[in-house]
Formats: sequence, C-alpha cells, structure tokens
Amino acid sequence: MVNPLNRVAVVGVGFSDVGRGLPHSDDQLVHQAITAAMADAGISPADIDGISTMGGGAMRMGGLLGILPLNYFYTSTLLGPAFVDPAIMAISSVASGLAHTCVAVRLIRQRGGANAAAPQEAPVGPQRVEGDAQFSAPFGAAAAGATIGAFQMQRHMQQYGTTYEQFAANAINARYHASLHPEAIFRDPLTEKDYLDSRFVSEPLRLLDCDYPVDSSAAVIFTTAERAADLQHKPVLVESYALSAIRDFDMSLIEDFTWNSPAHCAEMLWSRTDLKPADVDTAQLYDGFSVITFQWLEALGLCGRGESGPFIEAGHTRLGGSMPLNTDGGACNFGRRHGANFCIEAVRQLRGEAAERQVPNAEVAVWSNAVGVFSGAVLLTAS
Amino acid sequence: MTQVFEDLDPEGLYPPLPAPDELTRFFWEGVVAHRLLILRCNDCGFYIHWPRPACPNCLSLSLAPAEVSGRATLVTWTFPNQPFDPYYRSHIPYALAVVELVEQAGLKMVTDLVDYDKEALRIDMPVHVVFREVAPGVTLPLFAPAPSGA
Repeated sequence: MVNPLNRVAVVGVGFSDVGRGLPHSDDQLVHQAITAAMADAGISPADIDGISTMGGGAMRMGGLLGILPLNYFYTSTLLGPAFVDPAIMAISSVASGLAHTCVAVRLIRQRGGANAAAPQEAPVGPQRVEGDAQFSAPFGAAAAGATIGAFQMQRHMQQYGTTYEQFAANAINARYHASLHPEAIFRDPLTEKDYLDSRFVSEPLRLLDCDYPVDSSAAVIFTTAERAADLQHKPVLVESYALSAIRDFDMSLIEDFTWNSPAHCAEMLWSRTDLKPADVDTAQLYDGFSVITFQWLEALGLCGRGESGPFIEAGHTRLGGSMPLNTDGGACNFGRRHGANFCIEAVRQLRGEAAERQVPNAEVAVWSNAVGVFSGAVLLTAS
Repeated sequence: MTQVFEDLDPEGLYPPLPAPDELTRFFWEGVVAHRLLILRCNDCGFYIHWPRPACPNCLSLSLAPAEVSGRATLVTWTFPNQPFDPYYRSHIPYALAVVELVEQAGLKMVTDLVDYDKEALRIDMPVHVVFREVAPGVTLPLFAPAPSGA
C-alpha cells in the first residue's frame, strides 16, 4: 500500500443522464451523478468532507450540494489522465486522513468530441499558432485521433504485426459485452465485416476504434475501510494505485509509441502490492482508442509484451475467457464518460452486481485510464 | 511576437502558420533558408526539441541553434481523413508522420512525408528533410524516404 494510514474503500458509484447534446446544465449533470452515488452508498452530504473533480469545480460542487465544509478539495486541469486523476486524488486524501470521505467526479461535455466534424466556418486568413503547437499544427496535426490513436496503432501494427482482424476481434468482444449492459449506448452485434467496413478516421485508425463522445457526469465515493464496513454494500477495497507522467504534454514526441506511460504506471502499481497480474480476475482498461487497451494489457503484464493482438484474438478477453476485459463495452460502446466507467464497472464486478456480465467469483479487478504521456491505474479487491 | 511567412497571397489557402517568439523564431528562419536548426545545449551538447529555455539534461541556460544533417528515421505515420484545417482538408490524402533525427536518440519531429510509396513505408526506414513551398511564400521542413542505399 502506498500509505499505511488508512485503508480506502469504494462505497458509492453513480452516473448522471448520459447522451449527446443533453439540455442539462453542468450543475445539473453533477447534481445527478453525486446524488446517485450518495444514494448508492446510503450516505448524505453531511457524511462527505472531500471533493475532487476533473470538469467543473470542487468548491462549486460543495456549494451546490451542501457538501461543506470541505477538508479536501481538488479541481484538476483538463490536462490529466482522465477520471483516474481526481479518483487517485480522492483515494490519497482518504488514505492520508486529510478527508474521511471524498467523492471523485468527472464532468465532460461532448461538444463535438475528439473526432468531430470540422467547424463549419473557415477561418479568416491563415491561423497563426503559438507555443509548442507551431511545430505540429502547420503539418496538419490537429486531432487526437491522428496524433494519439493512429500514431500508436500504426506503430503497434508495424512493430508487432498486430492485425486489423485482431482489432476487429476486440471491437466485437466489447460490443458483445455492451449488449449485456442495459446502460450501454451501442448494443447491436458487430461483425468483422462491420469493423473492416467502418471508415478510417486517420488510417490505420477507424471510427470503430474510437470512443463515443457524450455529455456525462460520474461520481465515485471513497471512504475509510472502517467507515465502509457500516454501509449497505459489500465494500470494495483499494489495494494499490499509481499515477504516471513520463514527459511533458505532447503525445507526438513520446519515446516509444507502444510502451509508454502505462508501463511506468503498471510497474509502480505492482510494486505497491503483494498481488500479481495472475491474480486479476477482470480488467477495465481505457479504450479512448482501441490500441490503448492493447497497450494496457501488455503494460500490466496480463499478456506478453507485443502479444495483445493474438491474446485478444484467442478469446481470452471475452466474457468466459481468462481475462474478461471491458465488460461494460468500454468507452467505445458505453460512452466517453472519460475514464469513470472503467472504475464503476470494476466496482460493480467486485460487488457481484454485474448481472449478465458478471465474472464469476471476481475478487481482484484493475482499472486504468490514459496512455502516452500520462496514465493512472487502480487495483481493487472485493472485501 | 515576430512573424515569419508574412508575404502571403490574400487569396491563397494556407495551412496553420507558426507565430514564433524569441525562443522559437530561429527554427523558422532556418526553414526559410532551407536549413534544419535544432536548439542545442552549449554545455553538454543535448539537442532540445520542442525548444525550451533550459537544457533538461544538465540544466544549463546556455543554448544555441545548431544545424543538423536532416537525416532521420521514420517512427510512425498516419493519413488523417478529417482534419479541422481547410488547407489540409483539401490536401487529403497526406501523410502525417513522426521522424527521429539521427543526431540523438529520441530527438523527434512532427512532419509530413512526401515522395513516398505508401506500401513501402516501414518503421525505422531512413528519411531526409526536404524543404517544400507548400503554399505561396510558405516553406515547411518535410521528409522523404532516402534514396535506396543512402
């Protein structure tokens, strides 16, 4: 464990309404998510003394929901590894004793998303670009699909021989898992032909390799294991956690396009526990672009380095296999709730609440976010 | 803020252009002169790109532009289909790439590939810089596969 002061548990999880172009205000989405998590935990604002968030503001949320006074408040910039950033801040606030109960929040508005259509109005005169972006924008490097997903996917295919058919197998499995989840957005079965026919966003990256931007808020409540024991759910315990940044923020200049921040993050994660990769029963691994999932399987040691393609193709990551992966369908099918769904699905699996998606006897789960320059991962156990 | 590429055709279609400052202007002035210049530490020789005011290797503040050979290897590439920018939307397909300059392990640049055979692209293949006028009055450092045997 990173900090021996307090063992940390997850006691409540919740989502807001989720969809494209929702009429809800930011405050309304956050209100929905946090009240849902409190209801799930069976606690009230008076029981919470910490808020950490990416999106919106922690203090504003405290005022909005009457979660005051705050002993811990953290508002992330958007330049962080998605929900795992405020989640780990929340975990460490409870572990350190700064707060006894901290809600971690992600608020994201779709607004066109990472792979949206271009703005309709042409700029007047050429755009002038300052700072680091002056070294990439003039070459047509603007969208994350190209500079993150496609660059990494190309390298993985070239370096390891990973095939489009293996990416298709991953997409098919994820869609199958989503079909079992009532809250998933895309649930119709996918075939290999569907995948191969889907258009290139930035070759080799296809539309079906990309997560689905939505408006969403999510909340996860962490507290001490001691307090968790008195609440209604079987607590899910935090066994280990790790954050990583391996360079400053530019995904185009990373040292290695197939082995990067997740590798460092996983090394730290495993160094803080006696559990091993072989102990993991289910993994919820970020799929902003599908190749990110492939890299996490390898980085975490759930399969050999470079071997994620054949591992997936052999069926190991499908429900019923040895390493059920993204059992909610991942962000590609469940929506880009920006990292929070990986945590919440891991919790639901360990509670035994995953219904038709349930991994039998799930006792250890790992969830992760991001890739490239930064990342984070958390290892959870059933109590 | 000083400008480069100021002599533009008002009717022309241009890619996003740099707005360099004192730290970065050298790079674009080099490009105009068909020279590839990378910031280098005067004390330890470390090359620094994107430019920064201090050397991350030895913390020195004594840095200066140094001309590099223009030789590199291909790290990765992609063919964007939905760029936001109107110039690039009208230039599909184009090959956005990352290359690693031979002068230093890990010294990478973002660029576009030119004069390439798509099916022949391979990671680690040798490439070299070519300075191309991509729009009236605007030159960019692009990269082409090195001739066989080079």
